Amino acid sequence: MIRQLLRPRLRSRRIGPLAAGVVALLAATLLAAAGLALAGYDPAAAGRALVSGAFGSWERFASITLVRATPLILTGLAVALAFRAGVWNIGAEGQLYAGAVAAVWVGLTFPGAPAWLLLPGAMAAAAVAGGLWTLVPVGLKLRAGVGEVITTILMNFVAIHTVAWLVHGPLQEARGVFPQTDPVALAARLPRLGSGRLHAGFPVAVVLAGALWWLLRHSAWGFRVRAVGASIRAAAVSGRIHTGRVVLGAFLLSGMLAGLAGGVEVAGVTFALYENLSPGYGYTAIAVALLAGLNPLAVLLAAGFFGVLQAGAAAMQRDVGVPAVWVSAIEALVILAVVAADRFLRRGMAGKGGG
Amino acid sequence: MGGAAVEMRSVSKRFGSVEALADANLSARPGEVHALLGENGAGKTTLMRVLCGMLRPDGGEVLVEGRRLPPEGTRAAAAAGVGMVHQHFTLVPSLTVAENVALGTREGGGFRLALERVHERLTELEQVTGLPVDPGAAVAGLSVGAKQRVEILKALYRDPRVLVLDEPTTVLGPQEVDWLFGVLRSLVEEARTVLLIGHKLDEILRVADRVTVLRRGRTVLAEGREAVDAPGLARAMIGRETTPAARPARVEAGERVARLKAVGALGEDGRTAVRDVTLEVHRGEIVGIGGVEGNGQRELALVLSGRRRPAAGSADLPATVSLIPQDRGAGGLVAGFDLAENTALAFHDDDAHRRGPLIDWAAMRGTAHEIVTGFDVRAPGWRATAQSLSGGNRQKLLVGRELARAPDLLVAENPMRGLDIAAAAFLRAKLVELKGGGPGAEEAGGAGGRPAGAAPGIVLFSTDLDEVLDLADRVFVLVRGQLIAVPEAERNPAGMGRPMFGSEQA
Ligand SMILES: Nc1ncnc2c1ncn2[C@@H]1O[C@H](COP(=O)(O)OP(=O)(O)OP(=O)(O)O)[C@@H](O)[C@H]1O
Ligand SMILES: [Mg+2]
Repeated sequence: MIRQLLRPRLRSRRIGPLAAGVVALLAATLLAAAGLALAGYDPAAAGRALVSGAFGSWERFASITLVRATPLILTGLAVALAFRAGVWNIGAEGQLYAGAVAAVWVGLTFPGAPAWLLLPGAMAAAAVAGGLWTLVPVGLKLRAGVGEVITTILMNFVAIHTVAWLVHGPLQEARGVFPQTDPVALAARLPRLGSGRLHAGFPVAVVLAGALWWLLRHSAWGFRVRAVGASIRAAAVSGRIHTGRVVLGAFLLSGMLAGLAGGVEVAGVTFALYENLSPGYGYTAIAVALLAGLNPLAVLLAAGFFGVLQAGAAAMQRDVGVPAVWVSAIEALVILAVVAADRFLRRGMAGKGGG
Repeated sequence: MGGAAVEMRSVSKRFGSVEALADANLSARPGEVHALLGENGAGKTTLMRVLCGMLRPDGGEVLVEGRRLPPEGTRAAAAAGVGMVHQHFTLVPSLTVAENVALGTREGGGFRLALERVHERLTELEQVTGLPVDPGAAVAGLSVGAKQRVEILKALYRDPRVLVLDEPTTVLGPQEVDWLFGVLRSLVEEARTVLLIGHKLDEILRVADRVTVLRRGRTVLAEGREAVDAPGLARAMIGRETTPAARPARVEAGERVARLKAVGALGEDGRTAVRDVTLEVHRGEIVGIGGVEGNGQRELALVLSGRRRPAAGSADLPATVSLIPQDRGAGGLVAGFDLAENTALAFHDDDAHRRGPLIDWAAMRGTAHEIVTGFDVRAPGWRATAQSLSGGNRQKLLVGRELARAPDLLVAENPMRGLDIAAAAFLRAKLVELKGGGPGAEEAGGAGGRPAGAAPGIVLFSTDLDEVLDLADRVFVLVRGQLIAVPEAERNPAGMGRPMFGSEQA
């Protein structure tokens, strides 16, 4: 896809999804600035605060922005993979929570286990739990033809309410004061990188993005995923692709990536389970994936962008007095702009997702 | 030339490196059926898309009834009375026939959908044209032939002064073609103009008053009907002589490769589409199945190729089955995939095309190259996507890919559809070679590699009875999901037509 973007385009109106993303960003920035100005804030000062909040120092960038971006990368990959296979997995949020529960449970249940076993065990449990969380939507889709949009959203509610019940009941901390679990054993935590709060989950997410990109482009499995996503009919007619199996695999793997995001968040940031552990990472992931044009490498950039926005929010609030909800509004604007740009730029041609 | 209904002067259009139109001219008078001919990729569809305002030409001008059209804009063209039936379907599957017809008309444009009006006028049209349609039927459930009838009605509904039909007959049965030509004649009697694209010369010459031939984007011939004949047109189109295809010799059939026993299958709408079909196919034979589209062909082909499990009975099938599906070109190709990727749909898990879990794209491009050169697929470049190919070239790519699999069984639904004369003759020869296990078999099987003599069994579905009679060793017709053998003595169009009688409306 990168190569395709770099290739000069001969008078064709085809513009890559990345370009659509850039146009969307510019449009959203302008709209946000106008909105801030109308609301009586100084858009330039707000922008400066946002930038210094997110990039002010390496320390800050790593500890806040990249840490925020990590779960967005993983859930963004989850959504991008599913969408590439034509599976509309809106359930990354629920799968993330399932993963978080599993990681916490492993971390609390085997406190004596050595780190080399406990940490990978917790991460694997998180991924498996995220994958299992897709089983109901997968089964309903493949067996009964029930659309996964509704079922994955419903599974999000189930996950969120299950977490609430767990932290008020069976998994509540020993003191019984707050609705949260005890912190997991040190051996179940991700190592820190450098002196800040950046943890090893970030490089893992980057490596997974590269791996997924490479697999989609070069492997037979990735090809099948792209084929099923582009035209399930042509894939079925080819006689070489078991479309049900491809959908199942992509859906499960998508859930596993989202589950891993939950595990990484627990093992790298929160160390415990509580309600609202995720500020909607699984939903923002949809915007991340779309902004990235479903390209796993571009997911890194898009997740980084949303990480910057979220990290800058606090600074904007502190220095300029802009309410943090403004940042949510800007995020929403970006999503709208992406959708609009997508429609405009691809109008009149069948959607082409380059490999 | 003052009275021309359509006048296109030195129209040119490039797509990247491809010169689709190079100073093409076309002049059609009111009251004539004007045929537009040319080989696959000659630029016919492109020229008509320019006329309809769907494409902006790089140069040239377009006049309709003396008035110049803006270089782009479908509204202006529609307002000038230009209507088009496209080579590929433009219907919305989830809507009904009437809703599809209403799209983009006054009845569909306001706040309220005046569907009763549409129903009324469709019923009127039905009476005038003698074409049965059910305005309330969902388009998704219709057969390809029925969809095509709806496309034609949709165009007629708009009451066009100039009607363009891009290969309308490829999916119609013989009676439907007669019906369509009757409608076209009555249109031109009202001093309207019809522009008709097609590849079957004898069919086209039955109805055309004048002919324009395009070759590689240039107008090479524009004559009245009386001044041309089929061989001369073929020469103008391809630039050389064509040799008539030889009739295949009957070959001794080999071992059995496939057997269906009392097979039943359900259609898209969940109703029984195929019932109680028993059929054996042997190596080295062509089983021809005639019949009007929508009588279970699609479902039977899917079962016979192992793409769908039968709802009843049993299917005993060989390891490698090729399928050339019914849907025009696009059915077996992914529009946004390039040539190598579309090739990979059939070969991505083949040992010769992968290294472990990875696709060997170099080998894949090699196979794609063999297909493209073998079947003369004209593509604007190596990264060309299927959607940038002309209709016939898409079909060539698909057919080439399916033959390259070196199948034990080849199931083909109207494989000649959309192919120009030369390509259709080539494919015929290829099928004959294949069934004889001859040189063509080895050549096409280059990708798989297979001992000579292991000829595939071939099942050829066709709405063209002559094609079936010409090529097949055994002949059947498919009528309302039932397979009826045509006895040796009845092997003629009339004999085949008899069991099909009354099935045209299916
Ligand atoms: N959107 C596009 N992008 C790139 N090339 C295109 C596009 N549309 C058409 N072409 C090219 O323009 C040429 C003419 O195509 P066109 O569809 O007009 O052929 P045609 O005469 O209708 O052929 P056929 O009989 O196969 O339908 C072909 O080489 C085709 O590949
Ligand atoms: Mg065409």
